[in-house]
Amino acid sequence: MKSSSQMRARLCGIVVLILLAASLGTLAVQAQDTITVGVVMPTTGREAKPGQYQKEGIELAIKQINDAGGIMVKDKGKKLLIKEVFYDDGSDSAKSASLAERVMSSDNATAVIGGYSTALGEAESVMPDRYQTPWITAGAAATSIFSKGYKYTFGALSPIVLLGDTTAEFLGSLVDQGKLKKGLKIALVVENTDHGVDYVNGIQGWISKHPGYFTVVLNEKFDLGGTDFSGLLQKVKTSRADIFLSDAHLQDYITMQRQYLQAGLHHQVISYGARGPESDARKALGQGTDYILAALWWSDKLPYPQATKFVSDYKGFTGRAPDSWYAATAYDAMRILAQAIQAAGTLNKSKIRDELAKAQLKGSLLPGQVLKFGPNGQAGYPFLVTQNKPGDKVDIVYPKDAATGAPVAPMP
Amino acid sequence: MTAVDYLSLLISALLLAGIYAAMAVGMTVIYGVMKIVNLAHAGFLMLGAYFAFEMYDRFHFDPILGAVAALPVFFVFGMGVHWLLVRWLPKSDTPTLASLLLMFGLWQVLQNIGYLKWGNTAYSIFTPRSLSSIHIGEISLPKDKLVVFAAAVVSLVLLQLIFHRSWFGRSMRSLIQNPYAAQIVGVDDERTSRLSFGLGTAFAGFAGALLAMLYPFTPDFGPPFLLRSFVIIVLGGLESISGVALGALILAVLETFSINVPLPWYWHGWNSYYLPASYQPAVSFVLLVVVLLVLPKGIAGLLEKKWRVT
Repeated sequence: MKSSSQMRARLCGIVVLILLAASLGTLAVQAQDTITVGVVMPTTGREAKPGQYQKEGIELAIKQINDAGGIMVKDKGKKLLIKEVFYDDGSDSAKSASLAERVMSSDNATAVIGGYSTALGEAESVMPDRYQTPWITAGAAATSIFSKGYKYTFGALSPIVLLGDTTAEFLGSLVDQGKLKKGLKIALVVENTDHGVDYVNGIQGWISKHPGYFTVVLNEKFDLGGTDFSGLLQKVKTSRADIFLSDAHLQDYITMQRQYLQAGLHHQVISYGARGPESDARKALGQGTDYILAALWWSDKLPYPQATKFVSDYKGFTGRAPDSWYAATAYDAMRILAQAIQAAGTLNKSKIRDELAKAQLKGSLLPGQVLKFGPNGQAGYPFLVTQNKPGDKVDIVYPKDAATGAPVAPMP
Repeated sequence: MTAVDYLSLLISALLLAGIYAAMAVGMTVIYGVMKIVNLAHAGFLMLGAYFAFEMYDRFHFDPILGAVAALPVFFVFGMGVHWLLVRWLPKSDTPTLASLLLMFGLWQVLQNIGYLKWGNTAYSIFTPRSLSSIHIGEISLPKDKLVVFAAAVVSLVLLQLIFHRSWFGRSMRSLIQNPYAAQIVGVDDERTSRLSFGLGTAFAGFAGALLAMLYPFTPDFGPPFLLRSFVIIVLGGLESISGVALGALILAVLETFSINVPLPWYWHGWNSYYLPASYQPAVSFVLLVVVLLVLPKGIAGLLEKKWRVT
């Protein structure tokens, strides 16, 4: 009896050893033949939809790179395929940070793309320097992330301050064209995050440099994921503002705009920052989203051949057209990372980081067609302003050289 | 602010109270009888929202009819959950850790089933009523909110009638007051608990269907409502239906008026100052803490004490 149980234990031990050796062997082969890129995005929770779009953008880029044979890594003397390691952070900041840590340490990713939304991006942004792993966010743009002197943190989105500034500049151009009167009153209602703070700074910065154009009569913040905005909208009503500018994420945009319309409010101009043309909002509110303005990092209406190709590739990959800007910035984040790895010629993370700092992605989908990072790691290309039009149409209305339609202001 | 503005705020608060009462009442029923803090309430709300959506999308049911149809469906579902999971919990006069963990686990399971079935798209129910309002002078009354308010009032009245006029209601009340004495006089504890859990779940599904008329929803739908439900039932008294209505009204009025009425604040030299709108969610937390400290049995407990004294 004793000898048979010993035999069984030995056999079990041998099986475990064989399995361990096999898995180590596989890991070793993978370590040599693939480049691990970590992707931490929300595909569940409040930010699920934009997170999913960003994941799809990254995966499309990875597929195209791998279909072309991979990335040439000089010190390996061959092209290596990209292997994606994906984690869903559930739109939870603490989980987002711990998953970024996990992918950088346990999974030993060569680089990580993650952090959709300012709150999640801020949580993840403390990890790259700790693990000396390049990290690119394609969905967080608050200045606070890029003002801490981090070296391994990069952002493919232009700053939110510029988003606010562009919105105000566009409204100023409407005044110059005689579509809006000078001296109109603005009600600012923004989410209580660094995203919202930067947006207000952008608007107020432009107004202070251009006195006489607009006056801010209300400046309020609201909590993310709100359910009732009736009290806040009553404040907007009482302020007797002419222009309503909000900065909100998708779900809050839908809820607030519904309650705005139910409250019978009307302003000459409405904007929800970088939200406006999303299909979920148009399904939820129908004509209630018509004429809303949005300042975006990308639009499928951009007259670049690479943008048209991206739209067609994305449709082929996912079966539907890109919804707003989310997938495009993530796609370019992956492409600039691939370019930096190739330029580094090695999988050494600090060398890849150095290459990212000086990389220029020519033929980028984004406005200006070149993606590069500034000294603080954040990109700085110009914004587009779009306007929803009746019949589910969306036009670029600013800048003039990219415009696909004329702005309608004041709102009918 | 003019008098019309204040009136408009008061109406907004009243309509909001209707929504809050509808979402909290199911939780009260379950807590009252079984002393279970039903964390899965958020999951039931979410399933109710999707139920109304499916009825609207597949069979073109008006969402209010969908909400009514949710009542029997979720009643049976709740009884099923009780039979399958809840009845195995150890009996207790106070909430137990086991019940908290079980309901939390159930919530997670329901949420993940939601993701499997409906994905992460934000669904909404858009009817011709969705964006329309009745305008009386400068005051706007959103039609959907009026419908939800009316449905909430009807459901509270109905529940109050069940509580006071039916054999089942008397059994529930006796279990709430003294479970041991109730069993001695022949109340079937197991059966009443099962029916109560079914009733609580039915009202959660009903509330979820009503909320779907007002908000976009994903499988993550529910947590903000769960927190407010806690505040309302603690405020109103953990076992009282009329207390729920009162708690919902107090919370809604405080949330709405706190950011619109200038109050003298110490840190502004006692000058009148508006509470920033970003502090609005803190109102419910502060209220929860204050009520737990000052009125641990809620307003219903306070009133009961007063009646006893008189």
